[in-house]
Amino acid sequence: MNSYKNKISYDSPCDSDNDWTNSSDDSKYSDSESSVPEWDSDVSEDGELVYIKTKINNDTIDETKAPLLESCETFKLRNNFKRSSTRRSTKGRIFKVLKAHKSKNTDTGSKRDNEGLPATSINKNMFNDDKFIIIQVSKNMIFSSEKNCQLEKLFGISLETHADGKTLVVADFLTEAKPIYTPKIKKGYYLSKINGVEVNSYNINNILQRIIEDHNSPRLTFQVPTEGSYIDLERLLKLKNAPENSLTQLLKDSLCSVLYLCCNDIEYNSNDDKGVLYCYPRPFNQNFLHNTRGAYVTLNHLAPKSLGTSEPTNSTVFHNNTLINITYTSHYNDLLLIAFPNKEVDMFAAKKVIADIVRLLEFLYGSLKACFTKPNNVDKLDSLFSRIFVTLVINNKGSKETGSKNVGLYLEDSLAAHSVTLPLEVKVQVDDAIAELEAADYREWTDDVENFQRLYTVIGACLYYSGHLLSSHLQDEDLKEINAYLRLNGVLKLSTDKELEKLVMWKEVFINEHRKQNKNEGNEYRVLDGRWFLLTVGKGHFLLSTLMEAGGCTEDAVGITPPSPFYVEECESCLELLYDVGLHKYLGTWLCSNTQPQVETSPEYLTKYGRKIRDINNSTLKTSTLKLTKSLSEKRRHNSSEQINVGSSNSDMNSLTNYGSHHSLYVHSYNTQKYRNSSLDVSYSEDSNSLKSNSEVSEERVQGRRADREQRNRRDSSGSDSDWERLDGSRASGSMDMSDIRKSLLNEMNHVTTHRITAGEENVLFHFVQLESEKGMLIAPVKNIEMQANNVLYSYILKTFRSACKQIHELLQHSIRFKKNHAPSNPLNKILVAVKEHGMLFQAPLDILSQCGVNKKNTEPYLFWVVG
Amino acid sequence: MSVVVIAVATESGVPIFSRKRGNNESVQFSTIASLHGINMFSKCHNLSLIETQVDNGSILWKEYCKSVTLIGIATGGLECDLELLLSCVHDAMIFCVGKKELENLKNIDQIKRDLRQCYPILDYLLESLDPNAVSSPLPTLLLDLIQSILCPQAHQLQQALDNYAESVTGRWACLIIHGHLVATSSDFCELDPREARLMLLLAAAQDGAPLRDTPVYFPQMSPNVAFRAVTCKLLADVYILVVCGATPALSQIDEIVLQCWEGYASIIKEAKLGFPRNFPMSITFEPCVLGLLIVNINKRRCVFSRHLHPSNQKGRGMSGAHRMDILRTFYITTARELAPELKHKGPSNGIENMTETYWCSEYHKCHAQRSGNILCCGLYASSVQLHTIRLITNQILQDLSTNKDVYW
Repeated sequence: MNSYKNKISYDSPCDSDNDWTNSSDDSKYSDSESSVPEWDSDVSEDGELVYIKTKINNDTIDETKAPLLESCETFKLRNNFKRSSTRRSTKGRIFKVLKAHKSKNTDTGSKRDNEGLPATSINKNMFNDDKFIIIQVSKNMIFSSEKNCQLEKLFGISLETHADGKTLVVADFLTEAKPIYTPKIKKGYYLSKINGVEVNSYNINNILQRIIEDHNSPRLTFQVPTEGSYIDLERLLKLKNAPENSLTQLLKDSLCSVLYLCCNDIEYNSNDDKGVLYCYPRPFNQNFLHNTRGAYVTLNHLAPKSLGTSEPTNSTVFHNNTLINITYTSHYNDLLLIAFPNKEVDMFAAKKVIADIVRLLEFLYGSLKACFTKPNNVDKLDSLFSRIFVTLVINNKGSKETGSKNVGLYLEDSLAAHSVTLPLEVKVQVDDAIAELEAADYREWTDDVENFQRLYTVIGACLYYSGHLLSSHLQDEDLKEINAYLRLNGVLKLSTDKELEKLVMWKEVFINEHRKQNKNEGNEYRVLDGRWFLLTVGKGHFLLSTLMEAGGCTEDAVGITPPSPFYVEECESCLELLYDVGLHKYLGTWLCSNTQPQVETSPEYLTKYGRKIRDINNSTLKTSTLKLTKSLSEKRRHNSSEQINVGSSNSDMNSLTNYGSHHSLYVHSYNTQKYRNSSLDVSYSEDSNSLKSNSEVSEERVQGRRADREQRNRRDSSGSDSDWERLDGSRASGSMDMSDIRKSLLNEMNHVTTHRITAGEENVLFHFVQLESEKGMLIAPVKNIEMQANNVLYSYILKTFRSACKQIHELLQHSIRFKKNHAPSNPLNKILVAVKEHGMLFQAPLDILSQCGVNKKNTEPYLFWVVG
Repeated sequence: MSVVVIAVATESGVPIFSRKRGNNESVQFSTIASLHGINMFSKCHNLSLIETQVDNGSILWKEYCKSVTLIGIATGGLECDLELLLSCVHDAMIFCVGKKELENLKNIDQIKRDLRQCYPILDYLLESLDPNAVSSPLPTLLLDLIQSILCPQAHQLQQALDNYAESVTGRWACLIIHGHLVATSSDFCELDPREARLMLLLAAAQDGAPLRDTPVYFPQMSPNVAFRAVTCKLLADVYILVVCGATPALSQIDEIVLQCWEGYASIIKEAKLGFPRNFPMSITFEPCVLGLLIVNINKRRCVFSRHLHPSNQKGRGMSGAHRMDILRTFYITTARELAPELKHKGPSNGIENMTETYWCSEYHKCHAQRSGNILCCGLYASSVQLHTIRLITNQILQDLSTNKDVYW
């Protein structure tokens, strides 16, 4: 983080007196340096570029734990809405020069280093060095081995042979030896050398013999398994050739597979591989999908023709003791099959994923056919699919092994871009930055505007932070495609897990609009009136994807088109601008602050004292007064013993002490959503409303209805209840006092945000998802909320929530499908079509509750609406 | 909607039978061969196709006894558990011809002929999936549950049934009214619920015959040794069913029936009045309850009712059959999750410990709640508020557990 602070002090464009003379000075200065960007040597022959540099010492954790107060200070409001790009090296006059520039000058990083980036940022290419860990085992130590194995006696480890029959893998440590190894060496690491001599299963005994004779303490070199549970996505992304065999083998073992077949007779006969155009992982005869393709092809033909059904969408098969989901996509006569193991990608996710993959392939290549018939494309596709599989399957598996609770794919991930609602002013800042980029107002940069036609028009851009969409200025379809591109390639994950030093990706794409237009004309894809490029620039946890058009009013792109440094820097400067206003710090805290709207992450608080959770539709009717009194007295005791009730007493003012400051604000700002119950904390922020379009109306209605119902429940309950409730509310919020103070500080700056949706004194909202499938956006609490909560019960609730969500989604899809297709040819179940709302009430099992120290009943009801 | 069940001999590929329900064309021989081929081919590659989904439906292969492959195809938005259907079909096949025959498949033609007698049962099974069939005289609504009538006379009738079973030296007697199970002998629960259900279907399939005996194989209890099931028509739509040995002869049974049941005619008639309300008169329901499905989870018995109110006016807008269908669909798609033990098998979808669930649509609301062994699914008017619904469902569950007239 220090580096960014440095930068801010170095040039702060937020200063009001920042004018253009200043920056032109800078540009002169940097022009004298080499104008070749550091990624230049990485541009491949077809003009595509993937350049990634990540920070080694990942200090994201520190950042997230930075107190909120600090971030409030660092987040500077940018009052001057002047163009304040920090870019200064390239000027207009090198527009053209650099376009043709193909110099192999590898003078990298000259510019950046001048800007004060830390010298410690080592390129990850040297990562190989880290993979070896050397441990010296004292000769004096003799470990007691039960099996009387020489190896265990000497080193205190037991080894087993890897699947390849040669490599030795650490299987276990003896208890006494554990302290020697444990921090550095883990099970599954490879033992590669002893005293500098390579070992394998064949020569290990000889080497051991030599060590026994040798008096020096042996040095063991361990290798971190690269193709183990976690595969370095970064390496994969940079990979230009086909992925290495070990990865292919791993994918084969995990039973992921992709196959593209053409089924018309002419091609079938002309093709050596009997119609198989693409298959991965190879070789063909070891790919189960390839071997059994006949079944799927037959089924694909048979179902519509002879059975009168539609084409199959997916099959579940059982192979090698693994349930595998195979999804079908037909493209004219051709068939694309993709298989995922059910454990990682279940049926629900598989359906969504294949839609994404098809979207991605069309986005990158124009059409499925073009994608798989393009010459010399196999290596690219190989690495693309390996990334897809690694992102979806392998790395998910890895996280499971390490004890994390996320099983399979996140529901949120598989659906759409996970977007975050920002406070209005932050939103304005972000939008302004992107708009500035899009405006492409380059007058200041070139001396003679007239002579230079622009290379690209910026169609739109979208900004991500840690995998969350902040802002999108793209068409809905484009956004979906770009989101698929970033997610399936693992870029989003990379930007979440690691802090990027610099990321530049450049790719020619085929935008949806143009594809459709061609489809309507009925001809194969041709470049008609332009070409499109996707430029993704990343820094820190930010990712900025910009869609650019060449042709039309800009210069036509001819032939191979490498990225233009000008535009790359333009995008980088846009990101830098965000850094300069301190957005990265602000977002770090914003994402952690759980205020969008706030969800209750410690559900056991609500149950601990014998009170049922009062959730969305859970009525309080059953709560007997007796119970309430009892629980109240318990609560009092609790308050005094734990002394967390900082600011609240038992007075009626309680409810105001905690949320009061915000609450009054809300009332002033918004009279749109007022409920009769004065103590309701319901409020809607304008910014979140403006973000969403028409469908927002439905959401509001939903929330309104929900609140109404809640209210009704309340009124049904006895009048004396409400008094108790207020007290309860004070207690629960009392425990969150500290965070509330911070939040209110945040709030003063943000003015208003949606804090709570539910009515009532307590926040009873655990989790929510709003999907706008047409827009490709999804609103839900940030992903790290589960980690933050770090609570068995909450994780359980989330898990149940996710699986229930899937069901509700499926059910309510019937109604949407009905509305979309009016043709009676496709009969639907009339009953299901009419269903508008579906809810389930869950009961957390006792063992999970007892893990949280709660032994009373807990229920988690929740509602989910999709109003077509 | 349409559903097709095809049976093929696994080894030879000879089609054994094909039953369908719905508006689709019957499946051609070549298609059957292809479908079978797909399964065989994938099996060669050490891969078994479990399920294939198409838009609005699915195709399922299932091999039983290593000799018979059943292929099920469901389309048209049919919500059903195809796997359950196939295993029920397989049970029915065993019920008629015995497991040994099916395993050996020595004389396929003979088996084909033998199986013809179970076609009515199979058709009933398929019918139970069809929403349009709800209005048929003998509705079988759910595949895996025995439809029953709750009536206060069940206790007396049980004694009569015990008595009757003893006199014919048989076991497992039951009384069926309108295709609903009303009373059972005390040992009836020894039968597997699915076997009991097949017995009911048998009685339904032999509609009209006053006295008849059929050899039956019980898929769980004795798949290889046949029993003799005797159905006897007491009154119109009232049957008694008993399983007994080779003796006594039918003519003797006829006499025994007269002896045993003469005195019970009035009770049976009383019990018959319980239909179609299906609940004892002592249980009353709120007027907003449009339909009710009560499931006894342990006994796999269910009670459907759409005539809950004595003066039921027709002007409610929703036909009775439609109500049943809504409840049925609600149960199959959603409420069944409340009772995981009812689920046939299948992968767990992570939804556990659900205690209540509901649907709201424009025209109606459904709510299901489980209390111990009893699952209650209610259909309500759309104007009723959800919290009221919850209260009512809860009340119904309490009523059912305390009412003395409820005799499962």
